[in-house]
Amino acid sequence: MASSSSSGLTFKLHPLVIVNISDHCTRVKSQMNPPVTSAANTTSNNTNGAGDGVVTAVSAAIPPPRVYGCVIGVQRGRTVEIFNSFELLYDPIAHSLDRAFLEKKQELYKKVFPHFYILGWYSTGSDAEESDMHIHKGLMDINESPVYVLLNPSINPAQKDPPVNIYESELHVIDGIPQLIFVSSSYTIETVEAERISVDHVAHLKPSDGGSAATQLAAHLTGMHSAIKMLNNRVRVLHHYLVAMQKGEFACENSLLRQVSSLLRRLPAIESEKFQDDFLMEYNDTLLITYLAMFTNCSSTMNELVDKFNTAYDRHSRRGGRTAFM
Amino acid sequence: MDIEQKQAELIDHFVKKASALKGTILDPVIIEATSHPSLFAFSEILAVPSVVELGGTENSGYLDVLRLFAHGTWTDYKNNAGCLPELIPDQVLKLKQLTVLTLAETNKVLPYDQLMQELDVTNVRELEDFLINECMYAGIVRGKLDQLRRCFEVQFAAGRDLRPGQLGNMLQTLSNWLATSENLLVSIQEKIKWADTMSELDKKHRKDVEDRVEDVKKSLSLKKLHTVSRPTLTSEGTRRSTLSLVE
Repeated sequence: MASSSSSGLTFKLHPLVIVNISDHCTRVKSQMNPPVTSAANTTSNNTNGAGDGVVTAVSAAIPPPRVYGCVIGVQRGRTVEIFNSFELLYDPIAHSLDRAFLEKKQELYKKVFPHFYILGWYSTGSDAEESDMHIHKGLMDINESPVYVLLNPSINPAQKDPPVNIYESELHVIDGIPQLIFVSSSYTIETVEAERISVDHVAHLKPSDGGSAATQLAAHLTGMHSAIKMLNNRVRVLHHYLVAMQKGEFACENSLLRQVSSLLRRLPAIESEKFQDDFLMEYNDTLLITYLAMFTNCSSTMNELVDKFNTAYDRHSRRGGRTAFM
Repeated sequence: MDIEQKQAELIDHFVKKASALKGTILDPVIIEATSHPSLFAFSEILAVPSVVELGGTENSGYLDVLRLFAHGTWTDYKNNAGCLPELIPDQVLKLKQLTVLTLAETNKVLPYDQLMQELDVTNVRELEDFLINECMYAGIVRGKLDQLRRCFEVQFAAGRDLRPGQLGNMLQTLSNWLATSENLLVSIQEKIKWADTMSELDKKHRKDVEDRVEDVKKSLSLKKLHTVSRPTLTSEGTRRSTLSLVE
């Protein structure tokens, strides 16, 4: 049902949308779980790799609950930028989304973000379905070519791309009848500075109880490790390029060589005597403080031990002989 | 890097001009190129065939000038002043800037005395003016001037044209850099593993101690039924003392 898009629109997706959709899905799923314990097993069975794509959304046995909502954003020329999203209720009888609520929400959003228009709708699942077309057509009076954002909630550890697909509708002639079908299109993730900070924060979740010193140390070291690994990769690329250039596989590009030579001249980055002095001083200070803290710990434990000993064994001799143990 | 970008157009322009002309007409082009305030790279012009041809003829003086600008310093010019044509003041300035770049190649900290000697400047004020106006504002060098210790710390210097042998050195430096960073990666990973193992050991130890405390508590609560007068205090005392011994 999905082929590659030919409409020429470029899509830009903000991470806020993805976070919103996954949050919505998680919330609904966890709200459903306690009352529907028997169905929870079938839920987990169905969530894992519905590879055949035939998710029985119509049946009463509830598969991963599908959530629906609307996406809003800006369309400038050929670029569609999806900024935000909000949730909508799905009316299974009428097979459409709650219109009144949609309009009310749209008005509210218009007041805060005057430039945002309703660009389409979203849902969760592994593949686009026939019934989605009804909803899609329903939205076509607000926006003549709505987009359909589909998030796949099943977690596939081998997958590197985010499990989000964007579909457009196109009029294709199938069996002589012009029909609208979903056509998937590619998108890029676009972030504003503030979004990048929050996504970064979420990605580096510290253990919630503050963790022991070891986990914090491990987290910090892991960060450094990945940074140095990236540097290593880039330098290796340069190295290969220069080796190839020396062997003559590439023509000598002087401007590049000049840049590389100026880069290499910045090494060693820190070598002055002053740095060594300061560094060693700080190192010694840290060691001293650790030592001092250890001392304090030991002496306080010793003190407790002595107190307990006194309380335990000195009961008989209350002649003021307590001083013997101090 | 911005300097390269700024230069790219100029280089193209001069290369086109040089390839269009031949012979002595090239001389003014060379002079123009070597005195242009934003041009510091000359290997491309050196590579143009009509320029190379100049080497054979009696006018090879200008080719030598070009080579001097590509690889040499002000001291080189002074030493060979006899066989090279006169330089106009713009070229002199350019050559001095290039000299600073060459000096920055070898050392990161350049003492004022050495700079003054290389650039033929007598007082510090003039030297500092030259460094600030001509070098830093032109963007070819970035660094700090330390007046107390009379030196110039270079943090960044633009690249000069490469001499043929320098490519090998650069490759050596790059591979050293790679080796060092790989070693660093390995040691960081070991540290991470060490931190994890230590925390594991610590948890295990703590668990062991708590288990022993539990066992002792259980065995004591059994004994509690058999003790005579002042039962609570005695068992409490023994328990506490055993606990403290265990800790």
